[in-house]
Amino acid sequence: MSVGLDYQFLVKTFFIALSGVPTALIITIVSLLIALPLGFLLALSRINQIPVISQLARVYVSFVRGTPVIVQIFIIFTSVPLLLKPVFEEYHVQTNIYDINPIWYAFIVFSLNTTAILIEVFRSAISTVSKGQLEAAYSVGLNNVQAFRRIIIPQTLVVALPNICTATVNLIKATSLGYALSLREITLRAQVAANVGYNYIEAYIDIFIVYLLLCSLVEYLFKLYEKRLRKYKAVGA
Amino acid sequence: MQKYFDVSYLWGTIPQLIPFLKVTFMVAGLSVLFGTILGFILALMKLGTSKIAKKTANSYTTIIRCTPSIVLLFLVYYGLPAIVGNFGTDLNTLHTAVFVVITFSLQFGALMSEVMRTAYEAIDRGQFEAAVSVGLSPAQAFRRIVLPQAFVVALPNFGNSFLELMKEGSLAYTIGLVDIMGKASLIISNNYNSHSLEIYLGLSLIYWILSILIEQFFSRLEKIFSKGKQVIKTT
Repeated sequence: MSVGLDYQFLVKTFFIALSGVPTALIITIVSLLIALPLGFLLALSRINQIPVISQLARVYVSFVRGTPVIVQIFIIFTSVPLLLKPVFEEYHVQTNIYDINPIWYAFIVFSLNTTAILIEVFRSAISTVSKGQLEAAYSVGLNNVQAFRRIIIPQTLVVALPNICTATVNLIKATSLGYALSLREITLRAQVAANVGYNYIEAYIDIFIVYLLLCSLVEYLFKLYEKRLRKYKAVGA
Repeated sequence: MQKYFDVSYLWGTIPQLIPFLKVTFMVAGLSVLFGTILGFILALMKLGTSKIAKKTANSYTTIIRCTPSIVLLFLVYYGLPAIVGNFGTDLNTLHTAVFVVITFSLQFGALMSEVMRTAYEAIDRGQFEAAVSVGLSPAQAFRRIVLPQAFVVALPNFGNSFLELMKEGSLAYTIGLVDIMGKASLIISNNYNSHSLEIYLGLSLIYWILSILIEQFFSRLEKIFSKGKQVIKTT
């Protein structure tokens, strides 16, 4: 065991780890773009108790929240090729299933995962907006879409934003598990660099700093946005 | 790679995994124990008057919250023996479970400190003042009036954090701890990676049932303890 840190390596690997940030961010953004509308719609179906969809959403949320992300990753990673193989053979797609870029699996896993988290977030947020708001919107002549876009969603967003922030930070943290998909994001890049000289401590300190910066930045941006949205917040109860 | 999905593997793995639940529970239980103690100290620091203590506790919480479990796990696993090694103590022979417990105690402590702080702040200051005014000492007032109420407020969050901890605990397989996740990956490598989907599904089934049971347990507990609670009825 070497005593003391290899500072040269520490600095060099920091930039290697930093080069994984775009990958982590792309996964986060794509997953959020898929999960936000889907989560909102499913939350609505839960609140209005639309048969079948509501029950399915409930089981789905319970499963995703009840199992570790790493197990979900492995399930998707092993099941998708099995499911796709007959489809590919049927339509004579020439692509080899095992050559697919792992980022696609990451998109699937993390959007499915985040959708489940956001269903619960939106469900509790929508239920804080009183029903009278919707009725009032109808009574002044807004249609369904307008009422939601202009009245309900802004109010829901104010309540949901802190939880969406937590979900986003958790999502960024969860992308570190992409190593299981051999996805070249922050963690794996630094790990690979460390494999050469067994400088694992330095590599993990670098990864630690990168995530710390990234997550603090995201939290800060959400705080700013929250301040801007606060004008929608109803004063008093 | 096997082509067909064989359900018998799914049912076959569950009895193989069940005995390793006790490792999962032991790690989670010890982490909860140490994490709660750490969380209590951190909550005291946050609620206290010392500015330095408050700053330290808050930055600790932020740092832990921004670190993925797996990174923290590796930092502890590789970093701790190196630091202690400077003082001439060899930790490399220590059981991996120790590192896992340390990691998750650190993490759970940060979570718990927030849970306790918000629970304490949720209790109206008037409760404490009323208790003191009827002649209880501040310590008695805290123990008999504030604590039981704060406990009820903290309970659902405590349950959620516990579930979170149990799920994150599955990452311990990466440093070679054989809990149910570790056993599942051992079974898979013994099978030369065939039928891994069935085994992972069996594993997820165990986690799912476990978390539903824990959830039920905590909601039952909440009902028992909130018996005397008076809430404003909202229509």
